[in-house]
Amino acid sequence: MKRTHSLPVLQPSSSPFGRRDFLQGLGCGFGSLAMHALAANGQDGVPGAGTREVGQFDLLRPFAPRRPHFAPKAKSVIFLFMVGGPSQIDTFDYKPLLEKLDGKPVPESIRQALEATRHSNVFHGCDDKILKSPFSFQRHGETGTWVSELMPHIAEHVDDLCFIHSMQAESNNHAPASYQLHTGEVRPGKASLGSWITYGLGTENQDLPGYVVLFDAGPLGGAVNYSNGFLPPAFQPTRFRHSGPPVNDLIPAEMFQDGRRDSLDLLETINGIHREQHHGFLELDARIATYELAYRMQSAAMQVGDLEDEPEHVHQLYGLHDKDPRTQSFSRKCLLARRLVEQGVRFVQLYDMPDKDGWDAHDRLLENHQPRAKWTDVGVAGLIADLKQRGLLDSTLVIWASEFGRTPMLQGKLGRQHNAAGFTLWMAGGGVRPGFHLGATDEIGLMAIERPIPFRDLHATILTALGIDFERLSFPVSGRDERITGVSGSAKPIAEVLL
Amino acid sequence: MILRVTSFLNRLIRSVSFTVVSALPAIGLIAAETNDPVSKPSEGRASDEKRIGKAWEDSDNPIHILFSGERLDLWSLQPISDPNYPERLSFEGEPDGFKLWDEYSHPIDRFLIADWLRDGKRPAPSLDRARWLQRAFLDLTGEKPSLDDIQAFENDRSTDAYERRIDALLASPSYGEHWARMWLDVIRYSDSNGFDWDEFRKEAWRYRNFVVRAWNSDMPFDEFLTLQLAGDELVEGSPHNEGEQDALIATGYLRMGPYDNAAKLFNEQDRARAEVLADLTETTAAAMLGITMSCCRCHDHKTDPLSQQDHYRFRAFFASTQIADDRPIDLQTDLKAIEHHNAELDRAIETQQAIIDRWLERARDLWKQKHIAKAPQADASDSSLPASSPAESDATQNETIPEEDLLAILSENRQQVLDAKEEMASLKSQRRRPTLAILMTDSQDAPDPIHVLSQGDHRQPREQVEPGFPSVLDPNPPQWETPACKTSSGRRLTLAKWIVAPNNPWTARVLANRVWQQLFGEGLVATASDFGITGDLPTHPALLDHLATYLIDSGWSVKALQRHIVTSEAYRMSPVPKTNASLLEIGRFSATEHPQVSTRSTLRRLSAEQLRDCVLQVTGRLQHRVVGTPVWPELSADILQANPAVLDDNETKTKGWYPSPASDQTVRSLYLIQKRTLRLPWMETFDLPENTVSCPKREVSIVAPQALSLLNAPWVAESATEFADQVLIHTGENKTAITVTFFQELLQRSPNVEELEACAHFLQTRHPRELALVLLNSNEFAFIP
Repeated sequence: MKRTHSLPVLQPSSSPFGRRDFLQGLGCGFGSLAMHALAANGQDGVPGAGTREVGQFDLLRPFAPRRPHFAPKAKSVIFLFMVGGPSQIDTFDYKPLLEKLDGKPVPESIRQALEATRHSNVFHGCDDKILKSPFSFQRHGETGTWVSELMPHIAEHVDDLCFIHSMQAESNNHAPASYQLHTGEVRPGKASLGSWITYGLGTENQDLPGYVVLFDAGPLGGAVNYSNGFLPPAFQPTRFRHSGPPVNDLIPAEMFQDGRRDSLDLLETINGIHREQHHGFLELDARIATYELAYRMQSAAMQVGDLEDEPEHVHQLYGLHDKDPRTQSFSRKCLLARRLVEQGVRFVQLYDMPDKDGWDAHDRLLENHQPRAKWTDVGVAGLIADLKQRGLLDSTLVIWASEFGRTPMLQGKLGRQHNAAGFTLWMAGGGVRPGFHLGATDEIGLMAIERPIPFRDLHATILTALGIDFERLSFPVSGRDERITGVSGSAKPIAEVLL
Repeated sequence: MILRVTSFLNRLIRSVSFTVVSALPAIGLIAAETNDPVSKPSEGRASDEKRIGKAWEDSDNPIHILFSGERLDLWSLQPISDPNYPERLSFEGEPDGFKLWDEYSHPIDRFLIADWLRDGKRPAPSLDRARWLQRAFLDLTGEKPSLDDIQAFENDRSTDAYERRIDALLASPSYGEHWARMWLDVIRYSDSNGFDWDEFRKEAWRYRNFVVRAWNSDMPFDEFLTLQLAGDELVEGSPHNEGEQDALIATGYLRMGPYDNAAKLFNEQDRARAEVLADLTETTAAAMLGITMSCCRCHDHKTDPLSQQDHYRFRAFFASTQIADDRPIDLQTDLKAIEHHNAELDRAIETQQAIIDRWLERARDLWKQKHIAKAPQADASDSSLPASSPAESDATQNETIPEEDLLAILSENRQQVLDAKEEMASLKSQRRRPTLAILMTDSQDAPDPIHVLSQGDHRQPREQVEPGFPSVLDPNPPQWETPACKTSSGRRLTLAKWIVAPNNPWTARVLANRVWQQLFGEGLVATASDFGITGDLPTHPALLDHLATYLIDSGWSVKALQRHIVTSEAYRMSPVPKTNASLLEIGRFSATEHPQVSTRSTLRRLSAEQLRDCVLQVTGRLQHRVVGTPVWPELSADILQANPAVLDDNETKTKGWYPSPASDQTVRSLYLIQKRTLRLPWMETFDLPENTVSCPKREVSIVAPQALSLLNAPWVAESATEFADQVLIHTGENKTAITVTFFQELLQRSPNVEELEACAHFLQTRHPRELALVLLNSNEFAFIP
């Protein structure tokens, strides 16, 4: 009846203690793991496959790559999280009717339709008065996609993007909606998408963490958003920084730097003597191995974090030289995300918060959205272009999303309220249909009326792109198998957007 | 058979006592006697009796009906037995059997040996004394013994040497600080609300310290649970003594869940309230009963004998709760003194105010005389203006005259006003504030009606339900308790009394298992908060029942249970890895066909708290003191931005980060701030669990960022440096002396020859500080023996 994960049954090394021997004998040599992965690759043609299947992780080598359930389209994910709720009707969901209705009440039929749903509280706190978009819209690309003047660089790539205009969240408040987008539940405490995916698939590069978060300020609702929740703590994210030492505690205090190699050698000797009295305890071996890995991680992380290593035209592409430090900061994170994915990191979660508010334009939409769009537009566009020209876009799923959008109704001084009833996100690359639009909101962009999509369907879609059967990616918690798509089994991958 | 159970409640509510009718082996019937000396049997009692507990025999039980008589063979529904371990088993074909039986006389050992012999296995040998002592220190206090402790123990050949060590450890104040952490994990302790603003709960620490006090004073566990669920219902008015004060503080349990304070801004307060009640229901059921109420929030349980109604019946016990953070917890006498003190001050303040008013009044008169006299001149200068209107002159007469002008007019008398103001400020600062905590209490209004919610959605209520216990054990309406607090409904007291009734088959087993898990790393039931059908079966069911019975019979004394366990040979055993149990032949038994088995099959790494506390302890930096308001570590700005709300602090200082002075930073980890949206990175790296949901067991990961943290975190380097520099004062440059002292202080033993050589070689080129850091990073330091 054992249902919890116990330590794996591995044959202990019979050879006398010696670093190389024991690393190989126990499979703790990460090089040998990579070889396993390659071998599997040759056998069934599934890239990035390990010897174990999704979710069957080994507590002592939790990041070893695992075989997906079926051939994946995407190998890694970059999730661009626009914190605070950017307005769909001022960016990617063009509603010309707003111009005519400016200053007028919400049309009765639309109001009634909304009030009949769980989203009726979206009206709470708004004036019953339409506020037209202060931004002009133009068609772009061969698909003729409408994009506002806020996103001129992203607009150049619309033919690569796959838009969903009919997203819905279950709360109209930041933290619960944000928790739901990250973990599937409005209540805190569940596991985040990045944790689920690294739990499921492990990661490709054993010298770097599999799940990385990047931010200046984190999402509203804090670290609970991107936490491992009930999943084993090995699947918690590692925060990288886009300047200075990329990881917390990566670099020894100065006095301990020169002797680090000698120290690790002595540590290994002392641990080796201790191990002789404790034969067969794999956790000791695993911990010894982490010190070697940490040593390698130190140089791998420094290397991947060294953005100056990139040529000038790449810096230009991402807008690293922009005068505004907030643009620089976001652009550096986009470039870092590409470098991480290139090195085999499985999941990069990137937040655009330079301050405490994000896109939360309750007051003065123009003054809030204009600079934020400017800070992020060039970096996002650079990332898409760069991934594409390197051939990485095929295997990398990029998602641009927020916890909700904003109302067409006025709030405060020319601002907009939160809107969980209908908003837009887009995806690009790894396994999703480029230049595609799914779903629609009503004529004023208030509520999704065509093909409404809950977050759990988005999660199912992302997992499908990664070759994971989302119903089978589960973890036992308090008597039930938790899934990011929920226990009710109602989630469906969005078939239209998957290639 | 009628047992008179002396319950702590007898001490608290003198007028009420319980009679437990226990028809062994069936689950008994609890009947509360009222104040009336003649017990009043409730109507329909006789027919109820058969319906309590034995759902498997009772075809009328709603759960029996719902699941067609299935699921009722769940082991944990069976009454707790008091198993007698067999006196001398018959050991057919087991030459060692009798020898073993005589050698292992402790009841716990005999239960295990009986099971192991049946499987043809042999127990592992004992640890040596030094390692046993290290294990006992870490398990009971979270700290390490000193080398002196170890040597004294090794030389102590008295027959009760082990017992005396155990008693001393159980009596140490560190014991409560270590074991409180287990309970705080289970009830998801946090110093903040969670969600967007994650406001600091300034008074949550009182609950944390209540838990420490309760464990240190060995508060009977039934009392401990009851106070947390219903402490307020046991106190009428202000507390009369510290016990009653703790009873109020204990209700902080009911407030521990996350709370979305921003929900009302978006008209989602109903959702927030529903979540609080769901969380309280599920946490209480998991923490105290080991049953999973989360599944049946949305539908009848998929595997366990729990219906969706059961979830909402249970939830209804909490329906009348409301936050009572403004209720003073001062003792009645103190509160009177505070009120008296403040009343005196208020009188004195009034006197000063009168002085000020009098002078200012006079100043106003003077000002008026002066300015009204001047006014016609101003008018005269501009004849086009009309004469000042009555309204305007009113304004000049009253508020609009700046105070400095008034004071100026008073010339030498202004000092009188200034003195009075100063005096008043001083008096105001002497006002005493009542002591507050985070509390729950019953609302004076009628309790919220509780409905079954379709799919758990608060917007889709179905039929209303009344409070009730899980139907599989008791489908009847509860017998209501009469709380001491007259305005309280008694709902939670009724629930608490049912939970801690000795014939509840879950409560004692769940606690006994948690204690075992904490001491051995793995519970007898591996799923510590799930005793349902999808949970694990007990590996040694008779032993679990023995421990549960022992707990109840000792008056729910947790320390008695721990003492019972730690004095066993089972607790002394060397670990034997599962992977090569059959390869290890170094035991005391020669028969090679018998694989060795132990109560421990893995080595446990120290928890985040143990690791931090032990690094501080062995390097001489740990402060042993009880801390109230949590200690806030200094964190870099970029870490603090994990929740942007920190950047948006408010006037009441609840959203920011408030670093404590350096002198406070080396207290035990228990006392460090525990926010929900901003975790302490070092602690999180070492697997500090998420504190928004109940954590039944600390998971242990072994990952590279831990190596980076323990090697490079500034506070670890500081500890190594401070320690090494201190030792060098005594040893000078002598490499052997340095190495020996380092091993003795950091690892509590002397180095062997091989280690001495390696370290001496290292010290030829490297600094002793680096050696100290290496030893703090060693496996020997990081694992419990």
